[in-house]
Amino acid sequence: MMRCAVLLAGILAVLAGTSRAQIVDMDAPPKPRAYVLYAAEAQTVPAGKPGVLQLRFHVVPPFHINSHTPKSELLIPTTLALEHGDAVKAGALDYPAGQPYSFSFNPSEKLDVYAGDFTLKLPVTATAGEHTVDGILKYQACDNASCYPPRTLPVKVVFTAK
Amino acid sequence: MAQSAQMRQANRVTLIPDTTKTPAAAADDSIAPPSPLRGKPAPAFTLMDLDGKKVSLSDFKGHPLVVNFWGTYCAPCKVEMPWLQEFSKKYASDGFEVLGVTYDAEVGKDTIAKDAQKLGVTYPVLLSDSKAEKAYLSDSEVLPMSFYVDKTGKVIEVTAGLGPKDELEAKVKETIAAGAQ
Repeated sequence: MMRCAVLLAGILAVLAGTSRAQIVDMDAPPKPRAYVLYAAEAQTVPAGKPGVLQLRFHVVPPFHINSHTPKSELLIPTTLALEHGDAVKAGALDYPAGQPYSFSFNPSEKLDVYAGDFTLKLPVTATAGEHTVDGILKYQACDNASCYPPRTLPVKVVFTAK
Repeated sequence: MAQSAQMRQANRVTLIPDTTKTPAAAADDSIAPPSPLRGKPAPAFTLMDLDGKKVSLSDFKGHPLVVNFWGTYCAPCKVEMPWLQEFSKKYASDGFEVLGVTYDAEVGKDTIAKDAQKLGVTYPVLLSDSKAEKAYLSDSEVLPMSFYVDKTGKVIEVTAGLGPKDELEAKVKETIAAGAQ
């Protein structure tokens, strides 16, 4: 329950910020919309030792997005590009496996998607102190009958190494 | 007939999140508005096809047709397009035509042509521009989006999203019949 409350608070806290950022990022979109939300939460890793940051995302129902490894080369995978300072050494992002999904009118084609909550894991080693990792999540959303243009979602991961 | 069409359209619901709302609120009250184009003349356009040739809506004057907006990233579009291809052949003797308009033209002709070929599409595939998108889609980004235009050039039906194949064929028949009245 507590975890849900924290997640919701994080979502609400970043909602306004991400929406504004998307308006700036897109090429004159008439009505930018977000289909994925980032749940910002304070995290702690051991200073100078390997740790793992959890980046929690929520795909707004009833939508889904392609996983990092969609079944078709024609589909746009979910990716997260990261930038950070020298005080942080980051390893390869660990993307979760997707869920199988088929459109009702074409059950033979199996897609691989994220729906609901999904978490990316980022291995880091950082010096003692507060750090920020900036990222851009790129994704493309659909519902059970329609698809929507690719979107980007700015992500700011703030964590403490101690 | 018109009432029946309206009822079918009312049954086609697309949920679009609004970023000013919480996720829960975003999911339960956003229904794609009916297209303002229904019952009006189809907006004119001139677009490039994959061979670099200009194609205008007016080139198809007197033909019942479907203007189908699609995207290379859109899986439901790729379910629907072979159906449209099939109907373009099946109803060719009625003068029926299909025009595919690629919403994400920025991916390039090669990618679009590769997709169209994989899908077995032989009807004209055009590259969208902002003017055509504004005229047909307004602020909507839903794909696929289809506009059924009768022989007189009037938009008689607009659909957003993938529906059943038999429903699509029924709309094609209505479009052909409407132009004959």
